[in-house]
Amino acid sequence: MSLACIIVEDLQVAANYLEKCCEKSGQVVVKGHFVNVPDALAYLNENTVDLIFLDVEMPGANGFELLDQIAFSPKVILTTAKKEYAYNAFQYNVSDYLMKPFTYQRFMEALQKIQPSQETVSINNGSDHIYIKADGKLIRLNNDSILYIESMGNYVNIYTEGKKIIAYLTLKGLETQLPANEFIKIHQSYLVSFSKINSIEGNLVNIKNKPLPISRHYRDSVMQVIEQRLLKR
Amino acid sequence: MNNYSNGKSFIFNAEISVQSISDLYGDDYTYVEEVFETVLKEYELLTNNINSAYTSRDILALKAAVHKIKPIFGFVGLLTVQQQCQQFEDTCHSASTFDLLENDFGSLKNSLTKSKSLIEDEKKKLELFNNQRA
Repeated sequence: MSLACIIVEDLQVAANYLEKCCEKSGQVVVKGHFVNVPDALAYLNENTVDLIFLDVEMPGANGFELLDQIAFSPKVILTTAKKEYAYNAFQYNVSDYLMKPFTYQRFMEALQKIQPSQETVSINNGSDHIYIKADGKLIRLNNDSILYIESMGNYVNIYTEGKKIIAYLTLKGLETQLPANEFIKIHQSYLVSFSKINSIEGNLVNIKNKPLPISRHYRDSVMQVIEQRLLKR
Repeated sequence: MNNYSNGKSFIFNAEISVQSISDLYGDDYTYVEEVFETVLKEYELLTNNINSAYTSRDILALKAAVHKIKPIFGFVGLLTVQQQCQQFEDTCHSASTFDLLENDFGSLKNSLTKSKSLIEDEKKKLELFNNQRA
């Protein structure tokens, strides 16, 4: 297990210590340290992470305001301990609290509560739809509403007409859930709905004016499917 | 031999919880020195925030500022001061007027000043200790 995390903490000594614990664990890769909510939010608007170590009381916006504004639901470990945060912590699906300063053993106990495989479930029993867990709820997605799916490390972006959903899933997992005759992998990072392809030009598949690359590895299998449907004289 | 080392391990000031330091850092004295240095770098800003909240007689800001500095005493093993910060926070929480905080604040401020000197001294001793071992 390797978790991508950020640390949102304005106390330098606490952030340094946390970073050292992450490094020592060999299970967590620190992608960034931010001393306030706006900087963390700017990062999370462009990147996804599995886990946030979050201080609550910081100058300006507090930690929970960050969780309100991000488009996905990472695991959260609070690095503060106040009873009055208990209700909020429950609402935000906080995995654990770490009272500063905490020992490395206590840090590891908190880490053991992070179970990436249980974060998001998808269910498909050969039906015409799947359910995904995103933004703290189960969302039904009809197979024919999906344009394409993009892998982003431990997350996927699922693109439908006018909507992007970020879910804690792997592309490989989704590939096994969705019907093989409707979805085709064109690249290590892209699974596309065959019926939504508008055109193919060179090594690019075009879906709703979005060009997506066909990798060399998948080109033969993609072209094999196309050949089966290509009208010839 | 000197008053802060028995040759192998560092002898901390009696105010510092050796158990707490050991639980957090083991015998990594180089890192302990780094922790003390980082704490000192943050100390002025954190205490300025406390003094500024006190001057403006803002109980909520004062409570928040003391809450913010509290954990750093845990990082350097000054558990009594950490506890004193917690008690002051509790007093802020229950105080109906600012005047009720004045006595406790005087005592806290005194502890903050003494602690800074103590952390500075320990940092210097740790530096010497680590240099001698290197």
